[in-house]
Amino acid sequence: MGTAPAQLFPEFLVDTFGIDSILGDVVASLIGAALVANIILAFSGVAGPWAKRKITAAFTDRIAVDRIGPYGLLIIPAAAVQLLAKELIIPEGVDRPTWDIAPIILPASAMLGFSVIPMGHIGPLNIHLADPEVGLALVFAFASIASVSLVMAGYASNNKYSLLGGLRAVAQNLAYEIPLIVTAMSVVIFAGTLQISGVVGAQTETLVTIAGVSIPAWFAFVNPFAFVLFLTANMAEIGRNPFDIPEAPTEIVAGYQTEYSSAYFVLFYLGEFVHIFLGGAILSVVFLGGASGPGPESISFIWFVVKVWGFFLFTQWARAAIPRVRIDQLIEIGWKGMLVLSFANLVLTAVIVGVIA
Amino acid sequence: MSLERPDSVDDGAVERTPDELEALLGDLVVDRDDHLNAPGFVIRPDTVQETLSILKEQAGYDHLSVVSAQEYENRYESIYHLKKFDDPTQEVSVVVPADKDNPVSESAEPVFRTADWHEREAYDLIGIEYDDHPDLRRILLPETWQGHPLSMDYDKDRPQIATLPEHANPLQEHHKDAESDTMFLNIGPHHPATHGVLHLKTTLDGEQVIDVEPDIGYLHRSEEQMAQNGTYRHQIMPYPDRWDYISAGLLNEWAYARAAEDLADIEVPEYAQVIRTMGAEMCRIAAHMLALATFALDINGDFTATFMYAINDRERVQNLLEDLTGQRLMFNYFRLGGVVWDLPEPREEFFSKTRDFLDQLPESIEEYHNLITSNEIFQMRTIDTGVLPPEVAKNYGATGPVARGSGVDYDLRRDDPYGYYDELDWDVITEDGCDNFSRLLVRMREVEESAKIIEQCVDLLEDWPEDERNIQANVPRTLRPDDDTEIYRAVEGAKGELGIYIRADGTDKPARFKIRSPCFSNLQTLPEMANGEYIPDVVAALGSLDIVLGEVDR
Repeated sequence: MGTAPAQLFPEFLVDTFGIDSILGDVVASLIGAALVANIILAFSGVAGPWAKRKITAAFTDRIAVDRIGPYGLLIIPAAAVQLLAKELIIPEGVDRPTWDIAPIILPASAMLGFSVIPMGHIGPLNIHLADPEVGLALVFAFASIASVSLVMAGYASNNKYSLLGGLRAVAQNLAYEIPLIVTAMSVVIFAGTLQISGVVGAQTETLVTIAGVSIPAWFAFVNPFAFVLFLTANMAEIGRNPFDIPEAPTEIVAGYQTEYSSAYFVLFYLGEFVHIFLGGAILSVVFLGGASGPGPESISFIWFVVKVWGFFLFTQWARAAIPRVRIDQLIEIGWKGMLVLSFANLVLTAVIVGVIA
Repeated sequence: MSLERPDSVDDGAVERTPDELEALLGDLVVDRDDHLNAPGFVIRPDTVQETLSILKEQAGYDHLSVVSAQEYENRYESIYHLKKFDDPTQEVSVVVPADKDNPVSESAEPVFRTADWHEREAYDLIGIEYDDHPDLRRILLPETWQGHPLSMDYDKDRPQIATLPEHANPLQEHHKDAESDTMFLNIGPHHPATHGVLHLKTTLDGEQVIDVEPDIGYLHRSEEQMAQNGTYRHQIMPYPDRWDYISAGLLNEWAYARAAEDLADIEVPEYAQVIRTMGAEMCRIAAHMLALATFALDINGDFTATFMYAINDRERVQNLLEDLTGQRLMFNYFRLGGVVWDLPEPREEFFSKTRDFLDQLPESIEEYHNLITSNEIFQMRTIDTGVLPPEVAKNYGATGPVARGSGVDYDLRRDDPYGYYDELDWDVITEDGCDNFSRLLVRMREVEESAKIIEQCVDLLEDWPEDERNIQANVPRTLRPDDDTEIYRAVEGAKGELGIYIRADGTDKPARFKIRSPCFSNLQTLPEMANGEYIPDVVAALGSLDIVLGEVDR
C-alpha cells in the first residue's frame, strides 16, 4: 500500500469544528453527504439537459440547443422547470406503491455508491465520505440495486413494453454483473485489499519511466485486458449502447420507463445519469488511479471530474456510433464470452501475482 | 401451401401469342377483352384457380402484379394482371366477371399468395366476395364499416361508427389467464419502429415472435377515388406525389404519366425524357438515403450518427430537386407529354451543383460502409435475419430492392424500358443473401447506379442543342381516351413496381383508377420474415422492407 490514506471529509469536519461526539459525527456525515450529492446532481443537471445534447449533436453534425443563454446553457433551468411542471400521468392498473418507489430506488442506489468513492481533493478537503474495508464490494452491491428498480418499474407499470424492458434488464444485469465483479477481483488480487483507498493507493507507484515521463501503475496499464473487459461489462451494467436493450426505443418504445412522466420520469433519467457517473467513478477508482493525476494533490478533484466525464463522453460516443445487439446475442456474449474471459483473467492474474510475490 | 415451383412443361421464357395462350387455356376462355398492354381473357368466376395455375405453371406467368376490381352497370369485374419475372413485357390479363346481385368469384390466393391482400382490398372497396379466400376481411377500412366505397350504390352520407375493440390473441382465446404462455402485443399504430401508422398485431413467446399480422389502412386517403374525380390532363398529377411521399415524388408521377401517355397515345420528346430520367433517379437517391437512415435508426437506436449523415446527403439531393422542380416534396413536375418547365437558369450552375453532389457521393457511401455495413455488431444483427427466399418473394409479388435483395433479377427500368434508361449505361443490382443485410446493400449499391445515370443525363443535357430543347409534346387541352379502353402500366418506383390501371369511359376522367403499390405487396411478406424471430429482428425486417404507409394505404 502506498501513502497513508488522507483524512476523510466528515472526520475533517469533526476535527476542524471540534464537534467530537456522536451527534457531531452524524452532522458532519450529513454535511459531507449533502456536498457529494450536490456535486453528483450538478453533474447530472449539466449532463442531462445540456451536455448530452451538445455531445450528441457534435457527433451527428447538428448544433443542438443554442438559443437560451450562452451556448444554450440556460436550457438547464428551463428543462428543470418544464419537466417538473408537467402533469404526472398515473395509468390505470399500475401497482401503486411499487410503481412509486421504483423511480426513487434507481437514483438513490447510484448515489449510495458514491459514499465510498474518493473524489479527490479540493485544496485541503478530501472529498471522500467513508472508506470501509469492504469498499469495493459495497460499491458493486449499491450499483446492482438499480436492476431491482428496473424490474419493479417494468412489472408495476401494467404495460407490456415495460414488462419486456424489465425482463431484459434482469437478464442483462445477471449476464454482466458476474464478469464485472470477477474482473474487478483480479485487481483486488494486485492490490491485496478491498478497501478503496488501498486499491487507489496501489496505483500510485510508477510503472515505467519513458523519456522522463513516468507512467503510473494504473491497473489499466498493468492489465489492459482486464480494463477492456471491465469497460465492456460496465457499459452493459449501465445499459448504454451497444447494450441499451432494456430501453431500446425503436423496439420496445422506452422499456421500463414507458409509463412514467413528469417528476418520476426525471427521477429515472437522473438515476440513469448518476449511474453512468458512478460507472465512470468505479472505472477510475479500479483502473485509472482514482483521482490521481499530474500536479499537486490539492487539485486532484479536477482529475476525478475529467475521468468521470471522459467516461460519460465515451458512452455518448458509443451511442452515436455502435449498433445495438439483440437480446439473445447479448446474453450469449455475457455468459459464453465475457464470463469465461473474466475467469481466465482472474486465474491468470492470481497465478502471476502468486509467482512474482 | 407449397412454394416449390412444380416441374413446368414450359420454361417460361418462350413468348406465346395471344392465340396460343387462348389455345392453351381452351374451354376456360369464354371471351376476349384485350387491354392496351396485354391480351385479356374473360373466364367464368369459378375457374380462377384453374386458369391462373395453367398460366403460372405452363406458360410461366409467375408474377401477379395486381388485382384490380370494379363495378359496371351490369356486373362486377376482377382483373388479374399477370407478368413474368423474367420478362415483364409479356403480360396477360385474366378478366373475371361476377354476378351483379351476388358478386362471388373464386379466390386466386392458393395459386398466388399475394392475391390475399389484393382480394381483401377488392372486397373492402368494391364488394366482390372471394370464395375459398383464407381470410376475407376488410383491410383498409375498419371492420365495422358499412358499404363498399367504390361500389355504385355506396351512400356517402351514411354515418359510420368505428369501434375500438380489444384485440384478441389469435393463438389463445384467453390471453389473460395464468396458464397462458404467449403474450399479445400491439406494435403500433404509434410506435417508433413502424415508420408511420402501421399496426402489427404480434403474438410473443417470451421475446420471440410466433405470429405477426400487419394491420393497415390508418393512412387511407381514398387516393384512387380522388384520381377518378380528376381530369387526365392536369388534375391527377399532383396526387402521385402523395403516395410515396419520401421524396420519391417524380418516380410516382412517372407511373401515372406512363399509363396515361400510353392510354392517350402521347409521344414524349426525348429531351423531356432525359430530364425525367435524371429527376427520377435523384428521387431514388433521396428515397434510398432515407431508407438507409431509418434502417440505421432501427438497428442502432435513436441518437445514431448514421441517421443524420444520411439525412444530410438526402438534403443535398433535395436541394437539387428543389432547383429543378421548385418544390421539395410535392413536386408536381411531370406533365402528360413532358415536364412543366426546363432546367433552371443558369443551367451551368445547376449542372455544376449536380456534379458536386455526384463527386461527393462515393465518399459518403464509403462512410456508410465504414459506419454500418462493416460493423461486426451490425452484421451480427442483419445477416441471416428476416430471410425471404426468392420463390417466396415472387409468390408474394415482392418487387424492388426487396426482391432484388433476394436475388430476383427484376427491374422495370431495364426489363420494360421507358424514359431514357435503355440508352444509358448502368446495372441492375441484385444480392443473393435474401436477408436484411442484402436489402440494405442493394439500396446502397443502387444509389451508386442512380448516380451513374444522373451523370450520363447531365452529360447529355449539357450538350443538348438549344433549339431542340423541347420539353412538352402537343397534347390536347382535354383528353378523352376512347370508351372502354383499359391499360395497366408500371414503372420502377423507389420501392418496386409502381403500377397504374386505368379504364377510360370516353369522358375526361378515368372510370377506374387503380394503384398497384409496391409497398403493399412487399409488406405482405413481413410475417414470412418475422415469424420465429426476435422482436428486434421484426423491427429490422420491417425497416429493411422500407415501406411508406402513404403508399401502402393510399
